[in-house]
Amino acid sequence: MPAWLGQGLLGSEQLGWLLQGLVLTITLSAAVILTGLILGVLLGIARQQGHWPWLALPHNALRNTPLLVQVLFWYFAVGGMLPEAAKIWLNTPHVLWQWQDLSLGWPSFEFLAAWWSLSLYAMAYMAEDVRSGLNAVPRGQWEAAQAHGLRPWQVLRWIILPQAWQIARIPLLGQGLNTIKNTSLTMAIGVMELSYRSRQVDAQTLLTFQAFAVATLLYVLLNLLTQRWAQPRLEAKQ
Amino acid sequence: MKKTIALAVSLALFSGAVWADKLDEIKKAGVLRVAAFDSNPPFGFVDPQTRQPAGLDVDVAQALAKKLGVKLELQATNPANRIPLLTANKVDLVAANFTITEERRKQVEFSVPYFATGQKFIAKKGVLKKPDDIKALRVGVDKGTTQEALLREKYPQTPVVAYDDTPLAFTALRNGNVQAITQDDAKLLALLANAPDKAKYEISPFALTREYQGIGLPRGEERLAKFVNATLQELEKTGQAKQIYDRWFGPKTKAPLPRDFKIGDPT
Repeated sequence: MPAWLGQGLLGSEQLGWLLQGLVLTITLSAAVILTGLILGVLLGIARQQGHWPWLALPHNALRNTPLLVQVLFWYFAVGGMLPEAAKIWLNTPHVLWQWQDLSLGWPSFEFLAAWWSLSLYAMAYMAEDVRSGLNAVPRGQWEAAQAHGLRPWQVLRWIILPQAWQIARIPLLGQGLNTIKNTSLTMAIGVMELSYRSRQVDAQTLLTFQAFAVATLLYVLLNLLTQRWAQPRLEAKQ
Repeated sequence: MKKTIALAVSLALFSGAVWADKLDEIKKAGVLRVAAFDSNPPFGFVDPQTRQPAGLDVDVAQALAKKLGVKLELQATNPANRIPLLTANKVDLVAANFTITEERRKQVEFSVPYFATGQKFIAKKGVLKKPDDIKALRVGVDKGTTQEALLREKYPQTPVVAYDDTPLAFTALRNGNVQAITQDDAKLLALLANAPDKAKYEISPFALTREYQGIGLPRGEERLAKFVNATLQELEKTGQAKQIYDRWFGPKTKAPLPRDFKIGDPT
C-alpha cells in the first residue's frame, strides 16, 4: 500500500460516523432549502415590486459578506446578545416526543443557528433568481391581466409567478445544490455534519486520505442524485 | 596541549567512575547547580522587577539548596536541553517543569513528582465540583484533539460541541452555548488570565488525565535521589510545598489553579 494511504481502511465505526454526518447534512440542507426558498420568493417579489427600497440594504449585506463570517456572527455574536433565559433554554436539551426508546428532541442551538444563517444566505441568492425571473416576464402581461379585471395580487399569483417560475427554477436548483455544499461551513459552530465527521475520523484514525475521500464521494453522490432527481421534474412541467 | 586535554578527560572520567557520589561532590563544592527555565512563567522566569530568576521550580530548587546548606547556582535551559545538561554533567539537577516519562527514564532519573498537570475544565464557579458533574453538561472542546477523543470515550453520554480552537470554545462558554470547556490546564490558565470576566470562572479541581513533573537527576546517583525525595516529602509535611504552590497558583494569583496534587500522593 502506498505511504499516503497510511495503515488500512476505515472501520465500520468510522463509516458509521460519516453516515451520521451525511444524515445531518441532508436534514440541514432540506430545512434550509425549504425556508430559504419561501423567504427567497417573498423577498424576490418585494424587491421586484420596489415597495420597500430599504430592503436593498440587508439584501446586499447578506450577499456581500462571506458565509462563514455570517455563521459565526449569528452563533457567537448574536447568540451572546440573547437574554439570559433564552440562552439557557436554547442550550438545554428538550424532548419533544418520546415513544419507548425513540425520542425526538428540540434541535440544538448549533443546528438552529446554522439553519437560520444558511436560510438567510440562501434567501438572498434565491431572491435574485426570483427577481430576474419576474423581470423577464414582459410588461404587457401585467397590463393585459389588469385589463381583464384582475386585482394586482391575482395578476402576480396567477399570471406572472407561473411564468417567472419557468425561468427561475433551474437557477434555483443551482442555489439548492450550493446550499448542500454550504452546510459544510457550519462545522465551525460545532454542527456535526459530514465535513465535521470527516475531520473527526481523520483526527482519530490518521487515515487522512480515506476520511476526506469518503466525505468527498458522499457529497458528490448527494449533489448528483439531488440534481438527477430534481432537474427532470422541474423541466417536465414546461 | 593535547596531553593536557587528554589528562583532563581521563581525570574527568576517572573521577566520575571512582568517586561517583554527586551528593558529596555538591557538599564539597558548596554549590548546587540546577537547570531551570528562564522564560516559562510561573515555573521558571526572570522576574521583570528584580531581574532575578523566579518561579515555582526555582523555589523548589532553592529549598533543596537550603536543606543541603549550599549555594544555589541556576543554569537557564529550554525544554530540549534538559537531558543533555544532565548527561553532560553541566548541572546536578533539573527543575524545569520536567514531565516524567518512561522514554526519559532511559536517560535520566526522576524524583517523586512535586507537580501534576492534566486535562481539566473551565466552568462557571461552583458548577464543577466532582468528575460526575460533567455528565449533566454540554462541553466544548477543540475539534480533532486528543482531549475531544478522551472526553467522548470517558463520557459517552455528555453532549460534546467541537470548535475550531480554544478561544472560540471559550467564547461559546461565555455565551452559554456550553457549560464547560476542556483542555490542558496550562492552556486553560493562559486563557483565563486574559479574560475580562475571569472572576466568574474557575478551573476544575479534578483532571481527566494526569502528567507528573519531577526533579531530573543523573542516573545512578542513589544518595542524591534519596536526598531529593526526602527533602520534597519534608517540604510537603512542613507546609512549605503548599506555600510555594500558593505563591504561584494560589487564590490570590492572577490565574488561580486549585491544588489537587500533593507530594507523596499515589500516581
